[in-house]
Amino acid sequence: MYWVSVFTEAAIFAILALGLDVVWGWGGDFDLAFYGYLAIGSYMTFVLSIGKPTPPVEYIIGWHLPVLIAILIAVVVVVGVAAVVGAIALRNLRGIYFAVTTLGAVSALYLLVENYTPLFDGYNGVYGLINPGQTALNLTYNGYRIVFMVLVFVLLFGCYLLVQRLSRSPFGRMVRSVREDERAAAAYGRQIFFTKYRAYLFGAALAGLTGGLFAIFISAFNPSAWTPAELLLIYAAILAGGRGNPRGVILGVFVVYIGFIELTRYLPSPASRPDFGPALRQVLIGLMIILVLRFRPEGIFRERPGLDTGLAPAGRPRQARVQVLTTREGQAADDGGPG
Amino acid sequence: MSAALLEIENLTKSFGGVHAIRNCTFAIPEGQVVGLIGPNGAGKSTVVDLVSGFGRPDSGSVRFAGEPIIGKRPDVISRLGLIRTFQTPREWRNLTVMDNVLLARRRFANESLWRSLTRARRIRREEEADRAAVRAILERFQLAELRNELALRLSGGQKRLLEFARIAAAEARLIILDEPMGGVNPVLGARIGEAVGQFAGEGRSVIVVEHNLPFIERTCHQVVVMDLGEVIAQGPFSSLRDNPRVVDAYLGMDQSHG
Repeated sequence: MYWVSVFTEAAIFAILALGLDVVWGWGGDFDLAFYGYLAIGSYMTFVLSIGKPTPPVEYIIGWHLPVLIAILIAVVVVVGVAAVVGAIALRNLRGIYFAVTTLGAVSALYLLVENYTPLFDGYNGVYGLINPGQTALNLTYNGYRIVFMVLVFVLLFGCYLLVQRLSRSPFGRMVRSVREDERAAAAYGRQIFFTKYRAYLFGAALAGLTGGLFAIFISAFNPSAWTPAELLLIYAAILAGGRGNPRGVILGVFVVYIGFIELTRYLPSPASRPDFGPALRQVLIGLMIILVLRFRPEGIFRERPGLDTGLAPAGRPRQARVQVLTTREGQAADDGGPG
Repeated sequence: MSAALLEIENLTKSFGGVHAIRNCTFAIPEGQVVGLIGPNGAGKSTVVDLVSGFGRPDSGSVRFAGEPIIGKRPDVISRLGLIRTFQTPREWRNLTVMDNVLLARRRFANESLWRSLTRARRIRREEEADRAAVRAILERFQLAELRNELALRLSGGQKRLLEFARIAAAEARLIILDEPMGGVNPVLGARIGEAVGQFAGEGRSVIVVEHNLPFIERTCHQVVVMDLGEVIAQGPFSSLRDNPRVVDAYLGMDQSHG
């Protein structure tokens, strides 16, 4: 049962990573608010499906909707919040300025949720979504967890097909052109803000879905479950797997998540220092980021452009290039390029 | 002379206290190649930026095909049929040569998020025609064999050719080339001159901002000369040789360059 839980969690995070990759991998925007969207998705799923709070617990709404409908509404709410954050942060801010603004947004959200208890019961958080539908499906506890794992994997596969299709579509190409050179993209008629905005909202929708699945998975959610540091793991996984390549992103999450979480479990953890293992894990993740950037910056699978298989002969990418004309400027540009 | 496609009137822009351009007025006739020359700091690039929406003038007006375009975003102006280049070829580095030119083909309707998800197969079918057209264009610029290479792997000269392939694919009414000969060798220069002539032959208007005067003389029907933010002369290249203001501001200087 332990491995069922590990694989379920990894698959949930893989969906999150697919969404984040659309924003960061394709769009080039280093978004630090992303984990907040998972949190909102999770909180909303709870308050829409677990019914009225019993004092002293307090939270908003308190409906008793079927959990799948609750997740759908949660996704809509998440996209709404992302629409506000994105409208502010994506308009003119790029690079580090965008990152800092989104960090500000998620920090404000975090403090609000922690301290304003009528919202989601502050530090205590919300709980009580225990295996929704288990009795209706007539399953044992373990059976339910396995069925849930299968459901998550089916959803992951669906999301993968969706993202993969988008990745190879004219939309994916346009988003990447804006990442590569905004001014040139604008000169050829692309709306910079609107392009990035749509990619951002699409990514946020996947984060909202992840939040809903996460709610079912852990059946309780409080601020300690979504410190911004969690996002680092997802970024590391995307980087290792292959930024911009949906298959690589999924592989990256499984490798990094299972690799790091599981391997570090067997490390000696002295009783006097119970935080030794988790701390070492952070160090190892940092080390991995440095090693990947140094030795394979494109990740396990590189971003794969769609190849044109026309009638005329065409070389595969990375084949020896044909040097027809060379200028001083060309050499300078080559020197500056990544090896 | 045919009707003016682009009309610039009293365009003025200052950065801080410096007048970048002052009361700039000239027109680009349909189907003509017009050179825009002047010493560094004359305000040529500022004019290009203002016309293409990458800046807002303090005053003045710009009309493209009769429509006022001041205050419009670059992408809106581009969709009206005005394509500009930059001083360096701004290729989309991590996209293939094919994708670079396909993007310049500008099938905006297929780029909607919803259509891309729901009509994937149909879009791919429609795109086949564009791919064939792009292959022909790449052939013309000797890039066909490199079409699956990432653009960052091209040499500087090939990147220039890629820029021209993109322009050819875009089918614009007005093309503004900002220093197309920068860092270009003579062989490639001849091909670029050929491409400019071809654009004009297809009925497109072209503005060439350039310091290479032989190139201007070869390719342009008319020349606009700027100095210190003002238009100081305008006319066929041959008529400017004897204009003392032009010689003083620019041409005289160029003798030293050979």
